[in-house]
Amino acid sequence: MKEQQPYPRTFRGASRYVLDEELAKIVNVSMALEMPLLLKGEPGTGKTMLAYAIAESLGMPLITLNVKSSMKLVDALYQYDTLTRLNDSRFGDSKRDVSDIEAYIRMGKIGQSFVADEKTVLLIDEIDKADTDFQDDMLDVLDQMSFDIIEIDKTVKAKNRPVVIITSNAKKDLSDPFLGRCNFHHIAFPEPEMMRRIVEVHFPKLSEDVAQACIQTFYRLREIGGVEKKPATRELINWIRALRSDPDFRPALLQRGEVPYLGVLYKKSSDLTLAARAVARLRRQ
Amino acid sequence: MFIQFFYTLRDRGVPVTPTSYLRLQKALSVGLVTSLEDFYTVARALLVKSERYFDLYDQVFLHHFRGVELKDPETHELTDIAKALLEEWLKDPAAVAAAFGADVKKLKKMTPEELIRYFLDRLKEQTEAHHGGNRWIGTRGTSPVGHSGHHPEGMRVGGVSRNKSAVKVAMDRRYRDYSQEGPLTQAQLGEALKRLRRMVPAGPKDLVNVDKTIRETMRNAGEIEIVFDRRLTDRLKVILMIDNGGWSMEPYVDLVQTLFSYARSQFKDLRTYYFHNSVYDVVWQDAQRFYRPERLDDFALRDPETRLILLGDASMSPYELMYAGGAIDYTQRSTRPSIDRLKFLASLFRHAVWLNPAPLREWDRVRTIGIIRQVFPMYELTLDGLEAAVRRLAAKT
Repeated sequence: MKEQQPYPRTFRGASRYVLDEELAKIVNVSMALEMPLLLKGEPGTGKTMLAYAIAESLGMPLITLNVKSSMKLVDALYQYDTLTRLNDSRFGDSKRDVSDIEAYIRMGKIGQSFVADEKTVLLIDEIDKADTDFQDDMLDVLDQMSFDIIEIDKTVKAKNRPVVIITSNAKKDLSDPFLGRCNFHHIAFPEPEMMRRIVEVHFPKLSEDVAQACIQTFYRLREIGGVEKKPATRELINWIRALRSDPDFRPALLQRGEVPYLGVLYKKSSDLTLAARAVARLRRQ
Repeated sequence: MFIQFFYTLRDRGVPVTPTSYLRLQKALSVGLVTSLEDFYTVARALLVKSERYFDLYDQVFLHHFRGVELKDPETHELTDIAKALLEEWLKDPAAVAAAFGADVKKLKKMTPEELIRYFLDRLKEQTEAHHGGNRWIGTRGTSPVGHSGHHPEGMRVGGVSRNKSAVKVAMDRRYRDYSQEGPLTQAQLGEALKRLRRMVPAGPKDLVNVDKTIRETMRNAGEIEIVFDRRLTDRLKVILMIDNGGWSMEPYVDLVQTLFSYARSQFKDLRTYYFHNSVYDVVWQDAQRFYRPERLDDFALRDPETRLILLGDASMSPYELMYAGGAIDYTQRSTRPSIDRLKFLASLFRHAVWLNPAPLREWDRVRTIGIIRQVFPMYELTLDGLEAAVRRLAAKT
């Protein structure tokens, strides 16, 4: 066994993110093994927020690649700005050297994280939107930590290996080669106690009884069956924000079974009617 | 280290790979794991790549580090066992026959198919009779690696644990709910169907083609020449035929409706037709299958590049499929057997698939499914199945 290497910069959670021990450990292991970490979980459980939190607590800059379905891998790596070059060659009023193609190469998000002078956190958000080719090719690049710019026949090597966080919303599994190269964690929906702490971080001044009443109602609402998109942490936070901005709101209202601003919690109209009906039924009881 | 643990995971059906195992060793060797709790978390992150297996992982972990007995796979696919039995039978007929208390000679006369059938029936009897069945069946490959009890092989359990012990965490089995696949939602179906769209240029030329503009400008000796293109729009034609008749489709109605409502918003040119059990002389445009019939022969006039998706459980009596006049609705006295009709459709449209909401594992039990599968490529109506079907439909050849 090798001697324990010192990891001075380990991740302990940030000011706006409540982290459970388990997840902290996995983040640290992924950083030590230099492997991308794949995060899955219900929408609104803080997958994206985690990357922000890691960047904040480690003091590294965060680079976010928002994956789109039409995206090609090369877009994420670099762009050859032919249009500007054409413009420059035609009008010649810029300081760039038109014969130097490299002056017209712009780094994409992955490229930026490679050429950055310091270690960065690279968040690849919603990878499931892209097709499998994109996913596999991207991991090749992240594995080798280098890519080629074909226009100028130059290889870009990562100066510092970024901390890679990948999120996926898909129920479906990603391809096997992809999974094989990532560490995996599934963010389970937080327990009420955990939720209490999350709410506290977001609303430090919220009084105990309001928070308790909100969280209780929230978990009761989550039990309504047949809903396509259950309200998650994000919705709860927004909902509390809405309640707080309402001067007429009293926690006693929730205890009586009334739920104002249901629309903040349910984003789909079919879900909303379903929930409204369930709330009305509960109140009658 | 932990080779046994690794193999137990594998035996239990968690897809773990040797690479991930080596990675775990690396994590152990750099001193990242200092307690059983760490091991629980780290090994899971490295070895298990889907939350569906988290529950299984918890069980194996408990078994391995605390000696909890793994449950007998009651729900284990009996067909698998039956197939294994057939192999066993080929090696040693007498032993197998004796286990069932049957006559070797009688069994020897059976064809392999009949044998499997026979084994299956016996197995079912046994599971019903004494819960868990015959022991020697259970020991086939999947049995736990012995009750080795508590053996954290040379693992240093150091430091005071700050939170729940890993064993306790595993015992909670928090991920029980994730071990089953959730229902298909509209959004998921949409993602799968989106790939079907075929983009072709159409409409006015109002999009600058940068690459061509540059090439033309160069040809023009630097004088800018802007090239416009047509926008890409979806021109894919889709015909969806849905089996909405009879109680056999009843359990799938929700699923089908989800698919249907999505398909409507997704494709510009989508025609939906309905049929009952199988396709005869006509299909209907209305769900009541009464007002607006359309003769199947007229489909010959359609664009042969149209994608045809049939959706049904393909489960019916064989005569409904094989005989002229076999239609279950008395109003539909057809002159030709339905199977000919299906073949006719398949000959009209090269890109055709049959989506079946019935689970794949049940397909072998229904004869008509087997017959229809020879005419149309059939896919399960799950995300994976749908994606495979879309791949097939999108193929150029």
